[in-house]
Amino acid sequence: MNLAQQLINGLVLGSGYALIAIGWTVLLGAARLVNFAHGQLYMLGAFVAWAIMQKLGFSYYLAVPLAVLTVGLLGVLLQVMMLPLVMQQNLTSLMIVTLGFGYVFTGGASKIFGGDPQAFVSPLTAASIRFGDVWFTWADVVTLVGTLILFAVLWLVLNRTRTGAIVRSVAEDPKLAQLFGINAALVYIGVFVFECAAVALGAGLVAPRSPILTSMGFDEVILTFVIVVLGGIGSVGGSLLAGFGLGMFTALFGALVSPAHTTAAAFFVLLAVLVLRPGGLAAK
Amino acid sequence: MIKRHSTSFALVLAGLAYFVPTVAGGAPAAYTACTTIAILAVMSYGADLILSYLGEVSLGHTVFWAAGGYAAALLSVNYGWNGWATAGGAIVVAIILACLLGLATLRTREFVFSLVTYAAAVVAMEIAFNWSYLGGSDGIVGVPPLDLPLFGWNLGGGTNDELWPIAWLLLMITLLFIHRFRRSRLGVSALMVHMNPDLATALGVDARRVRLAVFVTSAPISALAGWLYAYQRAYVGTDMFESYFLVLMLTAIVIVGRRMILGPLVGTALIIVQQNFFSIGGDGDKIVLGAVLAAILLLWPKGLVGVWDLLASRRAQAPRHST
Repeated sequence: MNLAQQLINGLVLGSGYALIAIGWTVLLGAARLVNFAHGQLYMLGAFVAWAIMQKLGFSYYLAVPLAVLTVGLLGVLLQVMMLPLVMQQNLTSLMIVTLGFGYVFTGGASKIFGGDPQAFVSPLTAASIRFGDVWFTWADVVTLVGTLILFAVLWLVLNRTRTGAIVRSVAEDPKLAQLFGINAALVYIGVFVFECAAVALGAGLVAPRSPILTSMGFDEVILTFVIVVLGGIGSVGGSLLAGFGLGMFTALFGALVSPAHTTAAAFFVLLAVLVLRPGGLAAK
Repeated sequence: MIKRHSTSFALVLAGLAYFVPTVAGGAPAAYTACTTIAILAVMSYGADLILSYLGEVSLGHTVFWAAGGYAAALLSVNYGWNGWATAGGAIVVAIILACLLGLATLRTREFVFSLVTYAAAVVAMEIAFNWSYLGGSDGIVGVPPLDLPLFGWNLGGGTNDELWPIAWLLLMITLLFIHRFRRSRLGVSALMVHMNPDLATALGVDARRVRLAVFVTSAPISALAGWLYAYQRAYVGTDMFESYFLVLMLTAIVIVGRRMILGPLVGTALIIVQQNFFSIGGDGDKIVLGAVLAAILLLWPKGLVGVWDLLASRRAQAPRHST
């Protein structure tokens, strides 16, 4: 095993995981909501970008922002429909509703885009860089740098701006925030749209690594969940660290043991953490 | 008085249910639909125990459902066990898995519980897909006809009209079990833990213990449905873990309304009749199922029973307005 190469792989995988998970971290931290359609939104992000490239002939660099916009708009629609349940904080029903939405997306995408695997090609994947016996692609560099920038901007917005203060106040106590004239519904919509857009961006950067299928999305939900719990629910910095940790774990486990069982192994790590430290690794 | 009447009413209804496929024409399609409805309704009752009485969303009941199917297939194909023995195997496997998952999630609630059970289902599917002992990606083919010897008779069979009596019986036993559960100490405690946790604590009910007990109780129900499903299809594969069954369970439970004893059965029947007789293609049916699930909870969170109540209260109010 080439350790340096596996560490690079771990870093790249980890940044992708963190990017896919960031929307959920914010959604859970700021709105105490979960979205089981997360994986299907990832799938939609990849397929919308692919369709824009295939059918409209647009370049990858234009297709990904358009896909982010499309999935973001879908997020507005979904959240407006769920708003009564969100304002009641009816978590049980919301979980099931998002599961239903995810199922509709799977069926709808397979009807629109067909059931065959498709090649979602990023020009960045083709351009590789080689240093001695380690190599990586420009897509890897963009994912890593993009994730770090996004996390930094998000952290600054949440902790250093008025918008961030509003989001945090709604997370803390929605009723009290409303007394202070904050429109909690608008905050919920904004946070949900961010989640949808972020996962679509993650799909735009990460999905080109392998063929895309309308049935994908389950692994993404599990990985996201592992990251959110390990990083401490709602913690932006924690989820970045957990993302890199999980990336390293996946790369090394895949190289040393078996790539087919990495999701299972990640899940058992999660179970162990839940049994030993129910609050996540970040809990004091 | 009322109780005695309701008991005989339930018995008559149960007896009539047996003749539904005959009344529906007795065609193979009728037997297939009825047997499938009975099997999937039993599967849903497993998840119903958690959703309706604990108020939690278990997304892992496909694990128990699939475990029942795999136990039946594996034990009958590889070891030649008869139906009674494979049913016992299915129950034991489901209880072991439920204990493991239940203990791991003992301290989790709400979305963490749902996510862990969901993750368990995805991971179980990957394990079944990659483990050749469980047939890997091919699954286990050639499950023999159900063999249920009883005093020299054989109750089982391989075709849907032969399996219907078993499916009907399994459904009736499940309904009786759910009925008993609702009145049992565990059922009452579960509802109390769900509806009024403070009261439960004050009365000395150990919430964690109740939740674990209900979880472990619910698993064999879904597993027995999976057990019969393996014989119905003569095949088990990783498709038993698919979200189709999960979405079907949840829709069947919420469509009529939670905590209704016949709710999951009626819900399953509505879904299967749509898919078997009014199908608009596999993808279209997915859209319908997912949309019904979301729409019910968004529009009438209490299910169709809630709509009924709404209409009834409007009708009751109408004369007052007119006078």
